[in-house]
Amino acid sequence: MASISPLERHAFLLRRLHSLTGIAPIGLFLVSHLLTNSSIVWGLMDSRKAVHGHGGVATFQHEVDFIHSIPFLLIIEVFGLWLPIAFHAALGVYYARSGKANTARYAYQSNWRYRLQRISGYVGILFIFYHVATLRWGWTFLVPGGATWSGEAAASTMALALQGAETGITGAGLAVSIAYMLGVSLLVFHFANGLWTAAITWGVTVSAPAQRRWGFVCAGIGAGMMLMAWSAVIGFATLDVKEARGTEQSLQTGHTPGPQIAETLPQLMPAAASGGH
Amino acid sequence: MTSTHTQAHASAAARKAAANRVNAKPGRKVFVRILRCDGPGQPSRWETFSVTIERGANVISCLQQIAANPITSDGTRSTPVVWDSGCLEEVCGACTMVINGKVRQSCSCLIDDHAPTEGDTITLEPMSKFPVVRDLWVDRSRLFHNLKRVKAWVPIDGTYALGPGPSESAESQEQRYVMSTCMSCGCCLEACPQFNVEPDPAAWDTAFVGAHALNQARLFNQHETGRRMKGERLDALMGTGGVNDCGNAQNCVKVCPKLIPLTESIAVIGRATTIHAFARWFSGK
Repeated sequence: MASISPLERHAFLLRRLHSLTGIAPIGLFLVSHLLTNSSIVWGLMDSRKAVHGHGGVATFQHEVDFIHSIPFLLIIEVFGLWLPIAFHAALGVYYARSGKANTARYAYQSNWRYRLQRISGYVGILFIFYHVATLRWGWTFLVPGGATWSGEAAASTMALALQGAETGITGAGLAVSIAYMLGVSLLVFHFANGLWTAAITWGVTVSAPAQRRWGFVCAGIGAGMMLMAWSAVIGFATLDVKEARGTEQSLQTGHTPGPQIAETLPQLMPAAASGGH
Repeated sequence: MTSTHTQAHASAAARKAAANRVNAKPGRKVFVRILRCDGPGQPSRWETFSVTIERGANVISCLQQIAANPITSDGTRSTPVVWDSGCLEEVCGACTMVINGKVRQSCSCLIDDHAPTEGDTITLEPMSKFPVVRDLWVDRSRLFHNLKRVKAWVPIDGTYALGPGPSESAESQEQRYVMSTCMSCGCCLEACPQFNVEPDPAAWDTAFVGAHALNQARLFNQHETGRRMKGERLDALMGTGGVNDCGNAQNCVKVCPKLIPLTESIAVIGRATTIHAFARWFSGK
């Protein structure tokens, strides 16, 4: 017998780690990430935040400040997110290559989901790379209008990166916003459908009725996440950048709108952050 | 317990077929379009034959008519079309082919159901996941090879009499019955996006084993004597090409002519390998 590769020797472990990483940490992160980002919309319902101006902007800034206050954030990011995502993506592409879609002949709903799971995986990799490269690593040459996302002016710079200009959405900004809409929708589908297949993979749902029931639960989870994802993208793509800046300045200077914009400030002062709320 | 999806799908197809059957008139002419191939590695070509449909005609009886008079619909003399068949009552699986784009047995495929009107066309192709021997006849060796991979049998051979085996509960017999009706026809493999052509037999052991083999592993793992080899079967199914290569497209269960709950069998093997892996991790070597 020929020597076998580590991929084959540890086939079972790798397959199950691939399944597991999709749920935790990646899936759990996705849920919390969408919850944070959709605060641009649900934050409007918090009247306490409205005193600074735009309630969504204030809530989103509060959420971002909280995340940035987590100790060892870079280590958590690298080992809790980037490496698991790279692992899940690399193995996913390797596994997907063994399949050959046949929805033309067998146009069953489950077969379409099989195909869409692979398409959403491929598109999702590209989208996550663009998302992280532009907003986290500062590859501004890929951003319409060249905006840099800043944690200290979280909502206004996010809106700028999506819209392309302070004066409102540009053509390139619209293209990026639509790409975001498509990207997050496909990733939400990928997670919800992956949650359904993972239950079969691990042998949690066995009978056809059990798989059906769990399918409804996954569809519900997916619908809820889709609502958050769309709220976030539409919320930032339609946000008034100047109004958002005003709210952020009000948060930083304690209710007094100042002439400086957020990027010029050295750092978000903890006193200002806690004093602002 | 069969899938509700399967039943819904089967009944929708059955309703359409029944409606067609009412309107079908015997004596009409129907075109039979066949993807032909002279032998392994030879190029394929389409040929169309005009066939007079008798009452109750099926695909096999049309192929017999063509064999008796192999002249294509444009008047060219051809050769009899080769196909494989055995029981002619949908229990042997030999005559499986792709009819109007869907895999099924040709013996149980009535022309009235699919081509009820004069001039209708019915299309026949060999299964695409197995090498063609000639025309509609394919070599399903890999299907049987994969049953060996999962040791789909009960171990009773020995050098001395092993005595009577343990008794089987009626409940287990009832559960296993439907799994045992598998006739190794290959429909589940033909419809599976994860099971694809593998010309090199050396690569068969690491390519996806298929729903039929996973179902047989479940059948024999549940058998009182067969379960003695459960560990070996699960070890085989944890490797490359095992249960984890299933992509959950679930086409298998929808095309299975015996309505075997294949996706349920796959999930049962999934659960068994999960438990097996943890047991081996904590108490194995």
